[in-house]
Amino acid sequence: MDNMGTHPNWLEEREIEPRWPIAVSGLANLAVLVAATGIIWWVFFSIEGVFKLYTPLLGFCLVIWTLLIVLWQAQFFDFWPLSRGFLKSAHPLSKGGILTLITIAVYLVLLFGIVFFIIGKLGITYFNWNSLQQYGELGQDVVSTRETVSWAMLCLSIPFFLVSVWFMLGVDKDLFHELGQPKFGLANWLFVAVIAIPLYVIFFHPHLGSMFYPKQIYAAVPPWWENIAHTNSAEYTVGILFCSVIGIFLTLNLWDGWPLNLVKKQPWRFIYFVLGSLVLGYIIFRIQLCIFDYLWDEAYVGGQNEANYGWRYSHTITMANFVLVIAIIQDLFFGLAYEKWHAVVRGIVKTVVAIVVGLLFAWAYYNWGPALLGVAEGVSHPSENASAFLILIINILMIQDFFMDRWPGYRLKR
Amino acid sequence: MERRDFLKRLAATGTGIALSGTIGTVNRAHARKNDKQDFGEVKSVKVHCISETSWFDNATLGKDIKAAGGINTNQYDVAYTEENLGGYAALVEVEALDGTHKKYLLDTGWSNEWVDYVFAKDGIDKMLQNKEIDTLFISHDHIDHFFGIESTLKHQPDIKIYFPGTSMEKSFELLKGADFSATPGCPKNAVPHTGELIVTETDKLYKIQDGMALKFFDCPATLKVRGENVLYFKIKDKGYVTVTGCCHPGILTLLTHARRNFKDGQKNYGCYGGLHISVFENWDPKFDDIIKGVKHFDMKKIGCNHCTGWIWAEKAEKAGLPIVHGTDKNLSYNKVGSLARAKTSNVYLGNGDEMIF
Repeated sequence: MDNMGTHPNWLEEREIEPRWPIAVSGLANLAVLVAATGIIWWVFFSIEGVFKLYTPLLGFCLVIWTLLIVLWQAQFFDFWPLSRGFLKSAHPLSKGGILTLITIAVYLVLLFGIVFFIIGKLGITYFNWNSLQQYGELGQDVVSTRETVSWAMLCLSIPFFLVSVWFMLGVDKDLFHELGQPKFGLANWLFVAVIAIPLYVIFFHPHLGSMFYPKQIYAAVPPWWENIAHTNSAEYTVGILFCSVIGIFLTLNLWDGWPLNLVKKQPWRFIYFVLGSLVLGYIIFRIQLCIFDYLWDEAYVGGQNEANYGWRYSHTITMANFVLVIAIIQDLFFGLAYEKWHAVVRGIVKTVVAIVVGLLFAWAYYNWGPALLGVAEGVSHPSENASAFLILIINILMIQDFFMDRWPGYRLKR
Repeated sequence: MERRDFLKRLAATGTGIALSGTIGTVNRAHARKNDKQDFGEVKSVKVHCISETSWFDNATLGKDIKAAGGINTNQYDVAYTEENLGGYAALVEVEALDGTHKKYLLDTGWSNEWVDYVFAKDGIDKMLQNKEIDTLFISHDHIDHFFGIESTLKHQPDIKIYFPGTSMEKSFELLKGADFSATPGCPKNAVPHTGELIVTETDKLYKIQDGMALKFFDCPATLKVRGENVLYFKIKDKGYVTVTGCCHPGILTLLTHARRNFKDGQKNYGCYGGLHISVFENWDPKFDDIIKGVKHFDMKKIGCNHCTGWIWAEKAEKAGLPIVHGTDKNLSYNKVGSLARAKTSNVYLGNGDEMIF
């Protein structure tokens, strides 16, 4: 086994160059992205497609976990068990296919194997829809239980996502650097789990405990954030924590990691990164809530659709994701075009472009999505969540970048 | 122009378009207005529950919808289990301040077999034939509120109808006479509507008579349906009452709309109808928020059934809301819903029950 943990990560080691002029390479990649997104959406997700997985929570839960597994493979496990030789020489389509299959296999083992079948059958009822129907009574039917399980798994992904990103960028190889793969990946993953599971219990389990009648108060405290958030819904904690994740990715794609990369020495690097990402996430969250207040008047307790506090918290993620998708596309496909600019100018221009084009993208989604994607009409439709579609795009972008060296517009430098 | 208004307009013409979309939203419909609307008063309102059992078993309907692709599937594309179908309809009797009475029909159910049965049981068929019923209000064109249109039109094809402008194209076709019954549970109508059709629009208040108005809310609903007509009454010395089919805009939207837009709108006396909360008896902590929100409005009578969710009604009563209990009349009908069979508490106004405001 290589002692890969002390070596540069494959993503740091590889060098990528555009196959054609930047604009042509970027547009070629964009075309592939659009085609791949359209095909995958219509085959697996759309309610007018084949598998109809966009319920919407089931689809959302699927794409957020697969994205996380893609990140784990690249950042924690450094593409283990594939060798450097294979990564350097294999065709991007071969690499992409194999690594995507590994992602799906890990998903099946971790989510369906461990969480759904083992924990859901033998431990926590709400992780398995069959258990909910078996032990539950009124209201635990085939439709409602699928949504409950999807919501529970979605909530579980949030702390795993946030803490994983804290470790990937706030710790990097400052811990366990002496370990090779897969020990390095496993050590990091277990450390993430040790922190993420209590965070899940504190920030999300109270919501799940309140999803049944009567409230499961002996297993879960009632949502403790009710008076702060004006809602019992964990959409409040989902909103803040996932906006933090999005904030981190926005800094990476727009500002080359600034300002979260200012502190270099541990443990201050980690502490600064954690606190900084939470502050950034909270700012993104609050700014959007202010905009929503101007657009739709103030929300009120128990309000419906866009007047609902919970929906607004959730919508902060959606709108931030529209901007993030554009920020990533801009950085991965067209980023080289900005390379010679001063860092500050580059950051400002990329930010403005991401926000403006992101908002145009949102406008297009809500107006044309019903016809093009088969989603429900309306911004605040109760069974509509654009984040599922947006995170699917980010999945494909990450696969294209991490697994396929940004094929076809880009290639490895030989 | 106030600063707030200026900023709102600025936002609406720029990035706001992206955020709010061009699709109608609930809050636009109940945005604050400076001049409070006054549509008069009535002496009393009586609502008779012709049928609130739109289907008799939640799980069966859930399976049908899941098999078709989920709750965002077009309602005309779902194959429904026909023996499970019922329908929603209510008879609204209004007593004006001068003591005169008028009758209105709210919705017309789903299965023609069931609607014919409950219409005959309550004498609605005779009332229609005798033109005792002034108007039919279609709250929205959902399966269980509209698909039974033939059962009304065959008795009175020229009845005046208020119909949501956001209704599906096929729903307009059904009004004119169409047959979609090749798909199980989907409707047919062999009696084209010949009377006045008022297609309701957002931002308009339709005064029906003194003390009674209809307001259309463009709001999202399941099965690709949008928008709902809601009836508002102002009862003398008591306050406002809402009568709804499903209340997709949300009960707090309705109460807030009255508070913001109607004269003395802070006086909310009561409501009747489906409140569309824990529809399939599933629960979400957000539904606890609705109980908390409704408590702020100090209503005196809450009559709920249909898509409210029995769980919500029971939790609301335990939290102190004035839920009006039903009787066991529904048990004498030839079909009884699985909830009633489960001997749940009578927090629903069931088939045959009445409520007076």
